[in-house]
Amino acid sequence: MTAAVEVRDLHFRYGDGTHALRGVGFSVAEGESVGLIGPNGAGKSTLLLHLNGLLPEAWRGEGSVRVGGVQVGPDTLHEVRRKVGLLFQDPNDQLFCPTVFEDVAFGPQQLGLPEAAVRERVARALAEAGTPGFEARAPHHLSVGEKRRVCLAGVLACDPSILVLDEPSSSLDPRGRRELKELLRQIAITKLIATHDLELVVELCSRVIVLDEGAVVAQGPTVEVLADEDLMLRHNLERPHILRHLHPH
Amino acid sequence: MRHDFLDRYSRLDSPIHRASAAVKLVVALALVVAVVLLPASRPMFLVAVAVVLVAVAVLSRVPWRFLVVRVLLLEPFVLGVAMLALFQSGGWRMFLFLVGKCTVCLMVMVLLSNTTPFSDLLRVLKRWRMPALLVTTLSLMYRYVFVLVDEAQRMGRARTSRTFTPRRSRAWRTIATVVSQLFIRSSERAERIYAAMCARGWR
Amino acid sequence: MHIPDGFLDSQTAVTAAALAVTGLGVALRRARLHLPPRRVPLLGLAAAFVFAAQMINFPVAGGTSGHLIGAVLAAVLLGPSAAVIVISAVLIVQCLMFADGGISALGANIFNMGVIGGVGGWAVYHVVSRLVKGLFGCVVAAGFAAWCSTVMASVACAGELASSHTVRWSVALPAMAGAHMLIGIGEGLITVLVLVAIARTRPELLQPEAAPEPRRSYGAIVAYGGLIALGLALFVSPLASRWPDGLDRTAELLGFKEKAVAPMVPAPMPDYEVPGFHWTTLGTSLAGAVGTIVVFALAWLLARALVPKGAAGPRGVP
Ligand SMILES: Nc1ncnc2c1ncn2[C@@H]1O[C@H](COP(=O)(O)OP(=O)(O)OP(=O)(O)O)[C@@H](O)[C@H]1O
Ligand SMILES: [Mg+2]
Repeated sequence: MTAAVEVRDLHFRYGDGTHALRGVGFSVAEGESVGLIGPNGAGKSTLLLHLNGLLPEAWRGEGSVRVGGVQVGPDTLHEVRRKVGLLFQDPNDQLFCPTVFEDVAFGPQQLGLPEAAVRERVARALAEAGTPGFEARAPHHLSVGEKRRVCLAGVLACDPSILVLDEPSSSLDPRGRRELKELLRQIAITKLIATHDLELVVELCSRVIVLDEGAVVAQGPTVEVLADEDLMLRHNLERPHILRHLHPH
Repeated sequence: MRHDFLDRYSRLDSPIHRASAAVKLVVALALVVAVVLLPASRPMFLVAVAVVLVAVAVLSRVPWRFLVVRVLLLEPFVLGVAMLALFQSGGWRMFLFLVGKCTVCLMVMVLLSNTTPFSDLLRVLKRWRMPALLVTTLSLMYRYVFVLVDEAQRMGRARTSRTFTPRRSRAWRTIATVVSQLFIRSSERAERIYAAMCARGWR
Repeated sequence: MHIPDGFLDSQTAVTAAALAVTGLGVALRRARLHLPPRRVPLLGLAAAFVFAAQMINFPVAGGTSGHLIGAVLAAVLLGPSAAVIVISAVLIVQCLMFADGGISALGANIFNMGVIGGVGGWAVYHVVSRLVKGLFGCVVAAGFAAWCSTVMASVACAGELASSHTVRWSVALPAMAGAHMLIGIGEGLITVLVLVAIARTRPELLQPEAAPEPRRSYGAIVAYGGLIALGLALFVSPLASRWPDGLDRTAELLGFKEKAVAPMVPAPMPDYEVPGFHWTTLGTSLAGAVGTIVVFALAWLLARALVPKGAAGPRGVP
């Protein structure tokens, strides 16, 4: 069986010379939920952008990214972007339409769905994301947490087969966080979640990848990796509280 | 929300807000054209239109004080130009007539903009075959005006909180820094928005 | 300089709207042909940027304040056609969302600030930056062009007001042009400071691919140049010369005088030929000429002070 996501020896440099990724390699199996953790500036967001072919400078560079067995490149962009639903870190970047409806409908419309189907999908996605009936609202009148949910709805409305989330739980209130976890648990597709919210990782992901300074420094079953206090401290992370009583030292 | 002076009341619920955006746009346009074409010998028409507008304003439930302030804020340029009309014979009549006409038109447009969200107007313009590139530009602009104004205000505040001896020559530099930062940030944001649009299958 | 509803008569408003629609049409067509897709969102963001920048007031003499128009800034950063689109978008939003600038005067405003201010200003920039090299030349050119564009737009605005018989030309011209010769200094100063700041922190934003226009395109030059010339011929030159009224005269020439809607506001004076009229025009033109030289010198000095010697200009920006 081909892996849902397979990244090999990926290097990336931004235009200003910042060496953001230095030989990243990992794979995610079909149906797996994997957490991606690492300190600020580790390269998590950069890596996730590659999964959608959003950094065109990268195609000429080293390394390869495969999604569902398809190599990401100029000719496969459409296919790759249909498969991978990407939630951006900053909801203001992702919500670019003047109303919530138009924004959530953007993806389905690009897929060429008929009007009625678009409406149906938008309503469903908004309900799933916990913001039902927000169609007529203006994005600039939403709170940050609401924006994030609407972004998620925009991704879900595209019906992706792989969900790639960049800090989905930041700026959500505790209840929002709980609902998000519940929602993600219900969506039974492949997930790759970059986050600083280690409790979310513990509850949702069977495996984690630790990224620091543009390279994978550790990966393995969640509980094992997160319980390795030395590793966590070395990379400016900390052991989540809920693991304290699982692995008393 | 700090920027909401920009777009505060256009989403209330009232008979006027519920009316179709296309109808409101057409009526507003017709009213403005009628007022603009009005001969100076018929000032009573202005009064009649103004009375109707006041009635509409009451129906719309937008606080009257807000509307009055908006009209007054826009009045200085009107007065300035109308004042130039004083430099001719019969200038006073011309001046009063001009101010009256302009004020009524301002009332029309202020009412339109505060009872109709711009996104609805945009949809109307799209239906009226406005070129797609212009529609895209307008909708992105409408979406991000609030973000940028917020950003500009935050930058301004961050600066003032660290400015201990205000000087005039610095003021220009400050404006320039804010404006250039604003441009740099918006062009970077444009890149990210392009990515977000692509991620959801644009083109 | 946002003309409100009620100051323009129907002829002027319709003529200006026709000019604006044509100009905007040309700009949109050129953008569709030459703008790479990844720069499409930048138009919207740049419009939001210009809007936000216009909200920042700067002090002008006598306790009044002016604000940026940003047409030359946009034209230098994005190219002339993009500037027309951006300024038009700003004006449309200001009109429909804030009632700032009349809906019946929208065409005139787009023509004055977008087409004349943007393209006309860019033409000045283009010529001067050809003559003076490097970042230094670019800065001198931008500052000078920003001032010129503000003044040119205000002259067009005065012409429209006078053609509408709202304000006499002998009053409108010195008042509008005079005020904007002052405001234009602020515009030029900010444009220069902003460009220098961008050149310092993100020089690549001034790089050629930022200006999507191909280097030479006679079609666009003819189209834009023709539009601006036509606008000036209709709104300004008849007033500045001895002709009675630009639009009346053109209407007569074209033979649709009868069909044209006559101005409903009767002209307060039968004619513009009042004593002293030529003097004001002449005086304003003289002031303008002196101002041009002074401003050019100021731009030069400012650039001297701000740009380090030998700084490389934005490569290839024509
Ligand atoms: N557009 C850009 N241009 C230049 N450098 C960038 C750009 N975006 C990110 N970087 C740099 O690349 C590195 C990786 O950034 P990235 O955003 O991927 O980190 P991250 O792991 O997502 O961090 P965080 O947890 O703070 O979101 C950082 O050093 C950052 O400064
Ligand atoms: Mg990140």
